[in-house]
Amino acid sequence: MGIKSFLSLEHTDRDELREILDLARAHEEGSVSQTLAGKTVCLAFFEASTRTAVSFELAARRCGADVISLSEQASAISKGESLVDTVVTLDRLGADAIVLRHPAAGAASLASRHTAAPVVNAGDGCGQHPTQALLDLYALSKALGGFDDLLGRRVAIIGDVLHSRVARSVIPAFTKAGMEVALVAPGTLLPRDAGAWGLPVLSSVDEALDWEADVLYALRLQRERMTGARIPSVGEYARFFGVARRHLRGGTLVMHPGPVNRGIEISGDVVLGDSSLVPNQVAAGVPVRSAVLTVATGAAQRVAA
Amino acid sequence: MIPGRTNPPDLVVRHAHVLDPGSGLDGVMDVRLSGGRIAEVGDNLRGTRELDADGLHLFPGFVDVHAHWRTPGREDEETIESGSASAAAGGFTGVVMMPNTDPIVDSPVVVSGLVRRIERESRVRARISAALHVGLEGKRLTEMRLLKEAGAFCVSDDGLGTASAGVLRNGMMYACSAGLPLILHCEDHTLATGVVHDGVAASLAGIPGSPASAEDVATATALILAAETGAKTHITHVSTALSAALVAFFKGRADITADTTPHHLTLTDDLISTLEGLYRVNPPLRPDADRDGVGEALRTGVVDFVATDHAPHASEEKELPLEEAAPGFLGHETAFSALHTEIVLTGKLTLSRLVEAMGCAPGRWVGEGGRLTVGEPADLALLDLSERWTVDSGTMISRSSNSPYFGKTLTGRVVGTIVGGELVHDRTGAQLGTRG
Repeated sequence: MGIKSFLSLEHTDRDELREILDLARAHEEGSVSQTLAGKTVCLAFFEASTRTAVSFELAARRCGADVISLSEQASAISKGESLVDTVVTLDRLGADAIVLRHPAAGAASLASRHTAAPVVNAGDGCGQHPTQALLDLYALSKALGGFDDLLGRRVAIIGDVLHSRVARSVIPAFTKAGMEVALVAPGTLLPRDAGAWGLPVLSSVDEALDWEADVLYALRLQRERMTGARIPSVGEYARFFGVARRHLRGGTLVMHPGPVNRGIEISGDVVLGDSSLVPNQVAAGVPVRSAVLTVATGAAQRVAA
Repeated sequence: MIPGRTNPPDLVVRHAHVLDPGSGLDGVMDVRLSGGRIAEVGDNLRGTRELDADGLHLFPGFVDVHAHWRTPGREDEETIESGSASAAAGGFTGVVMMPNTDPIVDSPVVVSGLVRRIERESRVRARISAALHVGLEGKRLTEMRLLKEAGAFCVSDDGLGTASAGVLRNGMMYACSAGLPLILHCEDHTLATGVVHDGVAASLAGIPGSPASAEDVATATALILAAETGAKTHITHVSTALSAALVAFFKGRADITADTTPHHLTLTDDLISTLEGLYRVNPPLRPDADRDGVGEALRTGVVDFVATDHAPHASEEKELPLEEAAPGFLGHETAFSALHTEIVLTGKLTLSRLVEAMGCAPGRWVGEGGRLTVGEPADLALLDLSERWTVDSGTMISRSSNSPYFGKTLTGRVVGTIVGGELVHDRTGAQLGTRG
């Protein structure tokens, strides 16, 4: 009863966001625990991941769940089993939640149609990464004072918007939280007709500061896109789209979903500096994913009761 | 060295027939130049210096968006000093320098070096086109934003074209967000395997030809991508009727402009029969139908303006069998005269449209000059439309002498060129004097 897949944040409204973040805080403060006792959470990661995989596993274990981890190499996927067949197998074996990371957009949605268990999208290709967006909201609202302090703040999403599942989740998340969002990228790293999203499109971090961004949210530049095809050089990218110390004014915050290419997206002296929320974002992973798993499995009602 | 920074004394050009299609001026009047700008247009104007231009025509200075000044690397063929003097001799007050030099203009340090040399040496307003891709190899994009900061005005794949449509599309998107226009040389190298136009003349002469499709296919690709990406794109040296028709189709569908050259408007591939290396050029000279089609496109404005593709070559690169010669013609010094003689005096094009196509329209494209209006830069060309002269290598100001018009007698010649209020090319003789 009351199970809920997390495929994207498309249908999540502001109140629901607040509830999840409140529940995350309760997890962090220890006021709720063992919400998944007796449940089985299956982590199916068909793409490399460090922080997402680890934080989901920690979250599930701290909530008292049994955890099954499945990787591409060590599963029947490497024998050619299809995603759907794998999901059906996990379903029949009794998974109470399936956390799925997959290189193709739409994989989580496809999986959810073949299981009664809730599916939590842990990143699908260039599609969505909803739990990243939730932990970003959590880390940022905590830094600013509270969820309502996000209202009216300006966040500049910088870099490879085109290939970023993080961007496709954080843009609606920040917008629903009442923030103003701008995109900062060269034309080659923007989706076609990005202007049609109704967001300002800027072409350097300096322009983002002129726009009075409160938060500089740098995206990861993927290695295969670093030179030649879509951008001329790492040097030129860093010059116009890298966040450096000179960009930091009073109160400017810097975020990044990780892993950071130091000196490219963010200069080395800023990554872990006072303005950086990068460690806070990582730290938010376990409580936020605990809350997500709790809500997904329908255990949140019991917490509320 | 561009004049105008030295603040020369006022100059009044008196009694010239002023023709500026852009501002609608067409009649005998005086023009006063002051502080490097056009100060006054009217009758009975006086100034510290006066130039009696009775019987001469005064036009907005011409702008050539396609010139190879061979600097850096081949200063034996042209320098910024000699190239700009050659341009001034042709009435050009503005030029865009192409990047296929040695080294290629693909790094900020080469651009900033050129900026300094232009300041020292150029008689006209020279702008720099940097390379669109590193080494003009069509693979990796150049650091366009750093090139722009160093002083590049636009980017180009000139000389080679861009083989990969994918690279071109990324280049257009990147240039667009960097705020740089593109000048594209449209040539498909899988088709352009010959050295002349693949037609009857090539067949008769036994010279390997490149089909017109080599240009048309690449032009279509560039236009489609320009429409899709929204990049400000200029198609240079359009030489076929089909490419002109493609440009016409995309006008209003993309932010595009196009130019063609004096030689494609006046010469045809029958020159192949001479077998002389002098006549090798890229894109190649085409048959009558293409020359006429491109000429008609220029008349109607489908092809927006003229650019010369001024391409100096040392004699050892031209005095060769056609197949072995380097492609390219000198362009600056004969451009107006050849077009005036061949297409204006023959009634194919009005003088007014020629002035627009050489001055106003390319001036608009570079965003400066091309208008004979008060407050605009005092960049002007003074011409004697009745002077007949024979082109010969001894009179060329360029360091090279590969003009396809050698031996031809042309009608109409530049008498003086004014940049920033100062005469940078002066054949006015004793006409200029100081009067009380």
